[in-house]
Amino acid sequence: MKKILSLLLALLLALSLASCGSAPAKGELVLFTWEAMFPQEVLDGFTEETGIAVNYANFDYDETMLAKLEAAEGGDYDVVIADDYIIEMVIAEGLAQKLDTAKLEHYGSINPAYQGQFFDPDDQYTVPYGAGVQTIVYDPNAVGMEITGYADLWDPSLKDSVGIIDSGRVINGMALKVLGESYNTGDLEAIRRAGEKLGELAPNIRLIKDDNLQDDLLSGEIGAAVMYTSQVTMALLANPELKVVYPKEGVGFGVMANFIPVNAPHPEAAYQFIDYILRPEVSAQCYEFLGYYCTNKDADALIAEEMRGYLTMPESFADDPGREMIGNIPAEALEEHEKVWTRFKSACGA
Amino acid sequence: MKSKVRPQKGWMWLTLLPLYVFTLLFVLGPLVYMVVLSFLTREEVWGVRLDFTLENYANIFEPVYLRTFWESLKLAFLSTGLVVAIGYPFGYFMAKLTARWKKRVTLFLMIPFWTSSLLRLYGWIIIFRAGGIFDRLLMALHITSEPLKLLYTYPAVVVGMVYALLPFMIFSVYSSAEKLDFSLVEAARDLGASPLKAFLTVSLKLTLPGLFSGLVLTFVPSMGLFFIADILGGNKVVLVGSLIQEQLMKARNWPFAAALSIALLLLTTVFLWLSRRLSKESS
Repeated sequence: MKKILSLLLALLLALSLASCGSAPAKGELVLFTWEAMFPQEVLDGFTEETGIAVNYANFDYDETMLAKLEAAEGGDYDVVIADDYIIEMVIAEGLAQKLDTAKLEHYGSINPAYQGQFFDPDDQYTVPYGAGVQTIVYDPNAVGMEITGYADLWDPSLKDSVGIIDSGRVINGMALKVLGESYNTGDLEAIRRAGEKLGELAPNIRLIKDDNLQDDLLSGEIGAAVMYTSQVTMALLANPELKVVYPKEGVGFGVMANFIPVNAPHPEAAYQFIDYILRPEVSAQCYEFLGYYCTNKDADALIAEEMRGYLTMPESFADDPGREMIGNIPAEALEEHEKVWTRFKSACGA
Repeated sequence: MKSKVRPQKGWMWLTLLPLYVFTLLFVLGPLVYMVVLSFLTREEVWGVRLDFTLENYANIFEPVYLRTFWESLKLAFLSTGLVVAIGYPFGYFMAKLTARWKKRVTLFLMIPFWTSSLLRLYGWIIIFRAGGIFDRLLMALHITSEPLKLLYTYPAVVVGMVYALLPFMIFSVYSSAEKLDFSLVEAARDLGASPLKAFLTVSLKLTLPGLFSGLVLTFVPSMGLFFIADILGGNKVVLVGSLIQEQLMKARNWPFAAALSIALLLLTTVFLWLSRRLSKESS
């Protein structure tokens, strides 16, 4: 009797699941990106207008995204938003499809400063969605000096009071920049020298963390930090007195972008979605939520005034000769970076 | 599936079949996959190549990576030691309580488990952070005059580890101390043994199984609890666990991550084997 009952229950469950699959909406869009990349109103607005239901699938790291996309052979997902360097790999693996920009009415709104970059030099596959730079933020009340560049972080007065993001390429790159090298150098000797330089920074490091580093700056746990743009925005909104520094050695920046996987099940819906979020008024809403630099030039003016300064590209940024994207480097160089990074982290704790 | 469990009813083993299939598929399968992966070569940018190499294992002996094993062992020994020092007496005396108090203490020990361990760690952040509860308490008592830097330090990590592992030791010791016949201790005392001698020859010996299972339950996980070091230590204590995560998720060096995991697995196996030998010898 029990067996029959459980069988019946299982059957019922299967049926209800099956009915869930065929939603009443006119279509479906599978969006694959990190958590919290869109305000709910934007997703709802899209569904309301087009009748297409948005199925929001998350990944935690870019690498997870590529692994899943590979397993799905470029199917399963309609729109993916990820970081520049991984998109270069996605394109190299043949997992992204070429965009028909004629289908994107608002394509012209994209800020050209973020186009034509290493990961998609001819803009054949991607539409940017937000950009970030690694900046130094410090509390002038806690730090007794003026910080103008990365090199200042080595100052002995900052002992045990600097927080940094947990990204080897960014932090090692900081030392590379101080030594006058490129973020993307493949010269192992230069990477090693950067490692030695970093060793001298260790006594100043109080904290290495990727998530919500701004909290520690706001609570006074640290006096200065190297962080991501979204964190900078959140920190400034909470405490406008904080100082933001675009390091004079040259900033490193990254772009997040949309692409459509090669075997996307609903490519038409994908175009509709990308075009929808390119609309200046929708874009403005997205960037206010996201906290990264707006990559839509027509949306800049629509961003709420108190945030506009934080979300649009600073002018000094455009003509910074040292400005560089952090791109992919040979495995050999990456392994050297890993060694340098692990040694540095241990040195910070010692 | 020894012949013993195959009595008259020949179909009974079928009911166990899903369990075996599950174990083979989801425990042995990934393990085999990991062993194989650890001998492969990484691709230049993404993925792995089917070229056999011992390079990944050789890489473990790079001083910077070897150090993470040392750090893991050091932290594991230190936290296990503290857990024994606090947990053993706690469990031992808990067994001497009245039935009613035993229940209450058990409940108090269990309550924290009703929330996620991550949340409880964030609780420690609130206690330790600059101007946090602990700081304010010390300042109110005029022990310190300004906020201390307690968070993101090694002691903070040790406190987090001990906190997370302590209940396992307490319950293990408690369960074996509860079975202890305290009249044996009294007999030893009556026959002239000093309290210390009675404890060492009777109580400790009879609760050793509990202590050993507690050791296994705390030492083995302590080798892998890297998120405590990340959260309370500000990522500055690099343990094998954090290194594996870094290699897998950020460095995209899967074969090296697999080799590190196998090495960690072997290391814990050695300790498990040692502790079993020791506990056998002692009984």
